[in-house]
Amino acid sequence: MHGSAARATLLWLVLVAATLLTWAVGERGSAGPHVAALLAVVSCVKGGMVILDFMVLRHAPPMWRALTLGWLVLTWALIGLAYWNGMPT
Amino acid sequence: MQYKSQAVAMPYFIAAIGLFVGQIIFGLIMGLQYVVGDFLFPEIPFNVARMVHTNLLIVWLLFGFMGAAYYLVPEETETELYSPKLALILFWVFLVAGALTVLGYLFVPYATLAQATGNDLLATMGREFLEQPLPTKLGIVVVALAFLFNISMTMLKGRKTAISMVLLLGLWGLAIFFLFSFYNPHNLVKDKFYWWFVVHLWVEGVWELILAALLAFVLIKVTGVDREVIEKWLYVIITLALVTGIIGTGHHYYWIGAPEYWQWWGSIFSALEPIPFFAMTVFAFNMVNRRRREHPNKAAVLWALGTGVMAFLGAGVWGFLHTLAPVNFYTHGTQITAAHGHMAFYGAYVMVVITIISYAMPLLRGRAANSEKAQVLEMWSFWLMTIAMVFITLFLTAAGILQVWLQRVSDTPMSFMTAQDQVALFYWMREWAGVVFFIGLLTYLASFFVKGEAKAVAS
Amino acid sequence: MNTASATALTPAPPAAQYRLAGDLAIWIFILAELLAFGVFFSAYAFTRAHHVELFDAEQRALHRDVGALNTALLLTASYFVVRAVQAAERFAARASSHWLLGAMVCGAGFIVLKLFEYGAAFDQGVSLSSSPFHMFYLSLTFFHFMHVILGMVILAALWFGARAGRYQPGDMNGMETGAAYWHMVDLVWLILFPLVYVIH
Repeated sequence: MHGSAARATLLWLVLVAATLLTWAVGERGSAGPHVAALLAVVSCVKGGMVILDFMVLRHAPPMWRALTLGWLVLTWALIGLAYWNGMPT
Repeated sequence: MQYKSQAVAMPYFIAAIGLFVGQIIFGLIMGLQYVVGDFLFPEIPFNVARMVHTNLLIVWLLFGFMGAAYYLVPEETETELYSPKLALILFWVFLVAGALTVLGYLFVPYATLAQATGNDLLATMGREFLEQPLPTKLGIVVVALAFLFNISMTMLKGRKTAISMVLLLGLWGLAIFFLFSFYNPHNLVKDKFYWWFVVHLWVEGVWELILAALLAFVLIKVTGVDREVIEKWLYVIITLALVTGIIGTGHHYYWIGAPEYWQWWGSIFSALEPIPFFAMTVFAFNMVNRRRREHPNKAAVLWALGTGVMAFLGAGVWGFLHTLAPVNFYTHGTQITAAHGHMAFYGAYVMVVITIISYAMPLLRGRAANSEKAQVLEMWSFWLMTIAMVFITLFLTAAGILQVWLQRVSDTPMSFMTAQDQVALFYWMREWAGVVFFIGLLTYLASFFVKGEAKAVAS
Repeated sequence: MNTASATALTPAPPAAQYRLAGDLAIWIFILAELLAFGVFFSAYAFTRAHHVELFDAEQRALHRDVGALNTALLLTASYFVVRAVQAAERFAARASSHWLLGAMVCGAGFIVLKLFEYGAAFDQGVSLSSSPFHMFYLSLTFFHFMHVILGMVILAALWFGARAGRYQPGDMNGMETGAAYWHMVDLVWLILFPLVYVIH
């Protein structure tokens, strides 16, 4: 149930590459809702990989998948709502 | 009863119940004084009634915890108590010291009492819940240390189980945190810090360990579920309780002059304090549903389940109601606090002590469970007291909401006493609910004297 | 997929075989942890909405390079933990303990970098009371930091267990339980890093 070494390695490379992307965006200093949304989506995808593959929730009862993935999405949704609240009108 | 020395628990339980009755009588007196201000004045002024009410609660719960430890530890460690004689001596010392202290409160003006007991040598008196004169405080420390010595020595020579380790950790914490009551700095902010280190770290810290251990013990006994399963839950519950409880101390630092970040730390972590209580409720029901045997003591099972539910409601939900800093800004020190205090103490600590008494007392009296008739009466007392407490809490909550509204939120705020007059109706209803609670308590006492065919000890 | 690890490949299980990797108790604990971090993250975001300029300015002053490097370290540690679990599942206890050691080295790297970052911040007068942003920056990262330290203790316990050959197919509960906790520590950082260090 723990998948293959090759898959894990591939996921790791993707995760590190995504981190580089986030870092590069930060270095460029890009701002605004589009950038924020992009970073949120990247974080969600990364988190989803960790939850489903590393934590092996892919093979867990659906309730546990819903709770953890739901937490990830809800947290970003709240952050998004707050970000939107803080934008100049 | 498997070990002879467990019998020393009996006098502790009897004293606990006796002092419980005293606590409720003084509760009724001060409840009436809320609406009839000069009732029993000048014999028993409100501040004295309040002091006796709260101090008796703490003392009888301590009696209950100690009795529970004397009952539980020999059975868990599978060895006789290190010194049953020491346990009996301590019982009398603690009872006499407690009685003298209460008599002192009642018959000597507090200032005179302070002067007579050396408060000018080391000032420790005059703080809510820690009003005890210096000799009493020292007595509590001596009794606690000797008690811990007795229990720890028993543990050392016997089997070490998770339940008894958690209980011991809780009891040691109880004794250690009480030491902060001897430090009373002049700086009011610091004073409040040390005061909360006793009060908060007791009821939202180490006492929860005692609560969880006692509940786990009774659940193992009445359900027959594997110890491994119960211990795993116990570990999760105490970790959550300690992390949220210790950092949650911050919810007392909002307005006492501590740095502002405590409003965040206190709000967030104390908002999570219901989680361990919720886990405890799930735990209790889960274990009872998975039971491997039908224990003849139905009353004890009822009390155990009741503890789970009422602790979650009283400590968890009612605590959460006013724990967030922006809410607490308005509710601080109102009847909302009183509502939470009543249901939390009853649901968590009163009920867990009654749970262990309900389980152990028949065994101490030589039978597995009381007669059907006695158990029915005991269950009646459970419902009377529990429902009465729910109503006390609801009436105080209503009074509190109204008070906050009239006195603090309104554009034309009323003075404290004017607002109190406005909520008098709720105080009357609370007092009547208190009378029902007292009837429930008398029913509980009566259940000990009901004869009938007892169930033999299953061995 | 690689053929060398074909034995580890299993088709998706039918519904009856759904299984949590790790003890139920740790998962309840993980949920409580996620809730705590979730509340903390939301509190940060909603407070930021009231002080956008302050938050954006002070965020620029953070060490983003260190933050990104730390993200990579945590991800690598998580990857090593996955490999350790996979190794234990094919009776390779020695390899498993080596992977765990690698994970601990990454974790230690995180801790060292974090301490350097804190040192630099304290030198610049950053404290819990210096501004709302600093309060959240320190609180969030320190709360997470404590989790990394606990995670290291758990990894060390797994390492000892793996060296003693305690984990093997059919007896993976301890290893999976510890691994799940470590991945949780990684998971919350994956939100914390973009939220506190980058998004503005």
